Amino acid sequence: MPELRYIDAIRRALQEEMENDESIVILGEDVTLGGPFGATTGLADKFGVTRVRNTPISEGAVMGMAVGASLVGLRPIVEIMFVDFITLAMDQLVNHAAKLHYMSGGQLRVPLTVRVQGGISGGYGAHHSQSLEAWFLHVPGLKVVAPATASDAAGLLKSAIRDDNPVLFLEHRALYWTGGEVGEVIEPIIFGRAAIRRAGTDATVVAVSRMVPAALEAAERLEESGTSIEVIDPRTLAPLDLDTILESVRRTGRLVVAHEAVTVGGIGGEIAAQVQEVAFADLTGPVLRVGAPFAPVASSPVLEKLFAPGVDAIVDAVQRSLAFSRDGAPA
Amino acid sequence: MTSIGAAEDRALLDLLERMWLIRAFEEKVSDLYARGHISGLLHLGIGQEGSAVGACSILRDDDYVLGSHRAHAHALAKGADPERLMAELAGRSTGYCAGKGGSMHLVALECGFVTATGVVAGSIPLGLGTALAGQQAGMGQVTVVFFGDGAGQAGPFHESLNLASLWKLPLVFLCENNGYAEFTPLSAHTNIERLTHYADTYQIPSTTVEGNDVLAVQAATEQAVELARSGGGPSFIEALTHRPRGHYEGDQAKYRELSEREEWKEKDPIARFEMYLEQQNVLSEDASEARTIEADVRQRIEAVAEAALDAPWPAPESLTSQVLAS
Amino acid sequence: MLPELGEDQLRELFQTMLVMRRFEEALITLAGEFDVGHFHVYIGQEATGAPALGLLEDGDFGFTTHRNHGHLLARGVDPARMMAEILGRETGTNQGKGGTLHLSSLEHGFPVTSAATGGCIPLATGAAFGFSKLGNRRVSVCLMGDGSLEEGAWHESVNIAALEKLPIIYLCENNSLEALGQRANEYPSSSMAASPLTGLAAVFGMPAVAIDGFDAGEVHDTMNIAIARARAGDGPTFIEARTVRWPGSRPLWPQLLTGELDLTIAWDETALPDEHVEWHRSQDGILRFTRELIEAGNLTPEQALEIDAGVKAQMKEAVQFALDSPYPPPEAALDHVYA
Repeated sequence: MPELRYIDAIRRALQEEMENDESIVILGEDVTLGGPFGATTGLADKFGVTRVRNTPISEGAVMGMAVGASLVGLRPIVEIMFVDFITLAMDQLVNHAAKLHYMSGGQLRVPLTVRVQGGISGGYGAHHSQSLEAWFLHVPGLKVVAPATASDAAGLLKSAIRDDNPVLFLEHRALYWTGGEVGEVIEPIIFGRAAIRRAGTDATVVAVSRMVPAALEAAERLEESGTSIEVIDPRTLAPLDLDTILESVRRTGRLVVAHEAVTVGGIGGEIAAQVQEVAFADLTGPVLRVGAPFAPVASSPVLEKLFAPGVDAIVDAVQRSLAFSRDGAPA
Repeated sequence: MTSIGAAEDRALLDLLERMWLIRAFEEKVSDLYARGHISGLLHLGIGQEGSAVGACSILRDDDYVLGSHRAHAHALAKGADPERLMAELAGRSTGYCAGKGGSMHLVALECGFVTATGVVAGSIPLGLGTALAGQQAGMGQVTVVFFGDGAGQAGPFHESLNLASLWKLPLVFLCENNGYAEFTPLSAHTNIERLTHYADTYQIPSTTVEGNDVLAVQAATEQAVELARSGGGPSFIEALTHRPRGHYEGDQAKYRELSEREEWKEKDPIARFEMYLEQQNVLSEDASEARTIEADVRQRIEAVAEAALDAPWPAPESLTSQVLAS
Repeated sequence: MLPELGEDQLRELFQTMLVMRRFEEALITLAGEFDVGHFHVYIGQEATGAPALGLLEDGDFGFTTHRNHGHLLARGVDPARMMAEILGRETGTNQGKGGTLHLSSLEHGFPVTSAATGGCIPLATGAAFGFSKLGNRRVSVCLMGDGSLEEGAWHESVNIAALEKLPIIYLCENNSLEALGQRANEYPSSSMAASPLTGLAAVFGMPAVAIDGFDAGEVHDTMNIAIARARAGDGPTFIEARTVRWPGSRPLWPQLLTGELDLTIAWDETALPDEHVEWHRSQDGILRFTRELIEAGNLTPEQALEIDAGVKAQMKEAVQFALDSPYPPPEAALDHVYA
């Protein structure tokens, strides 16, 4: 299979969907120029500036405009340049997009895709580095997608665009230039189906977005000391494929959840709660979380590196998990 | 009072009937609320029927209208079914939104009433979106978005003026300036005297009209809609109106001078229109046709209220249905 | 024209502009050798920032944007500590936690750089509100780009400032980019329908003027009036200072496309270069200011070069200081999350 970079896979999915569906429009700052990272490069030439439209720096109105257009027949894709700036569009996203289908008793649909990139890379500091997925998980009516590979980015984006609901499509900036195999034909990937990235027997690691490659590296390292971990990439956080996680945990008895977002209030806590509610008896030890410390992201490269959870943190958490035994005290 | 000249008597009486329908509906809502049959936050538009009816009277069925939190009149003026609307306010399963929306989240998509909103200025950006879709579709559809003077100081309103002007969207900004943002007179919120000045800044054609004059609003909207349909972009209409009641039902409006309340009697858009119709000999001197219209409408609304209150409550399982579109 | 200032003050202003320019030239050079991440430069706007901010007094506040280096330097922030901050060092103004996008120095009256477009406008307005309630005759200056006028927060803020007669000056540095298919300063543009831009403030009944941002004298005089008005409690002023964007100001990765500033062009010792001739002839505010100073007899070429040599040496030291400074210790990562 041909190799594509994550960002190029996104562009290809956008292009193919726009070729197939004339109701798709892209709205965002500098999108006709490709945006800051090139995700939309060339699309304005191909589809014209009425379908790929540069907007002013007016996140609130642009988000609302996309929602309004989605209500009456368009299928808009909004690009918010950094997830940090979605704060400026939260009213339209949370109070309107997420609730209009429900509040209208099903009369309205909001087929909207919100593409945002975020995460840590490059010392961008506290306004350009956050992982905010947990905010959106708390809002009924939103779907939340976090692809970790180029192939998933393309396939999940196609599904997001075709979905009749508002979908937050969370891209990780540090993954943009990573390559991966992408099929000649990009098939949409059904939401709510986790991928088992590596089979294992001793512990389950659920890893989100950039933590997937980190978990796979951790698995290699743990294997050297004879530990076999199963790495699960949920791919979509809402809906969440709890069944695949439960099936794995029932085999391994141990669970570590890894995400780049701040640990407190993150999706790790939610997954831990859901797992223990139905599989408490199958757990050999507590569910452990790997995430960022409870602090904003500092710009200094050393502090940033320290902030970002990675391979070491996952290895450490798996080892701590394995150290527990069911009869109480650490083994 | 301005006149559209060629309008037939019947068309004029239709405007009157539509205003009475809204008035009777709103007064019934107030009554049901006082008696505990309707709950929630209710913002009535009594006194503002002129702008809703005037503006919507010249719209096509496939045009879009969006309202604010005070939107009953706009939905009814666009042709929403009073019974389904009343059922919605009463939280019944037969309501437009199956009891999930209520007063501030009315949607009657079948007649082009896209949505109300509980957020001040919240539906203005949404109106940009329906206008954008209309522009892309190329069928001449226009959008009218109603909002109050309180929205004039909100950021998304300004972002929307800029975008609508830049992209020449087929959109009519219709500001119903009733002089009060919630409990506060406009003068305490801004130095701006006329909200049209905002529009002028963004090179959007604007006009201020007497909002209690249904024909003045109709004429201004007609001009704006013509411009929008022909690709000429947005317009801004500031309709000066009056809210004789509190911000919401139960608000005693103690912040308001009594003299302002007295003014109401002169401003009432319905009384004013009836007087005009008498002068034009559309109504006879005793206005008996108007009384018949009013009586018929009130009777109809009684039946509407009865049917709404007889309608079933939503089933418990609907609580978590329609969170996502399938 | 020259600001009406004494000779010493004029020379000081000249030196400040050079500090602003040489700092960023040094930074761009350093970025060519060392990964310092991306940053935005103020080059080309010195003739606005230096005279405007030079008028502030101790205790006045400035709030700024991602294009902030020049602003902080104009109020005397140590270039060495700024360079260290940009390099993420412990000795930086923000102890390595802010970086170029969040540089601040409270002691110099620059509490916040916001990297979100328009992010500082409500903050600057809030500071002015605080000053007015405290009755301390201090003023707040909101430094902003033309793009921030597209944000709703601008309108919400300026409405309140006008209504409450807050002691604030909105200094909008309009360096609108020709590369985006739009002639400089030409409105309406692809993203702003308002024309003129000053109308966005004038609509609230406050003074709103457009001035030549390359003209230090005009900037000085206009700011002087605005500050006096604010201090007297007469309310806000909006100033649009028009410049064009420096050719080397490539988004994220600036390049020295016009070369380092060569002061000798100002007195024709060196001929105008063939490339970017307009920049050197009329657009570089520092060259213009230098020409005016020499013409008026406030500065000789020798004095200019002497001042410049001192500034260059200072920047060399600043870079070395930054490179020699340690990174923050790991435990610093969790400091300051709460006060």
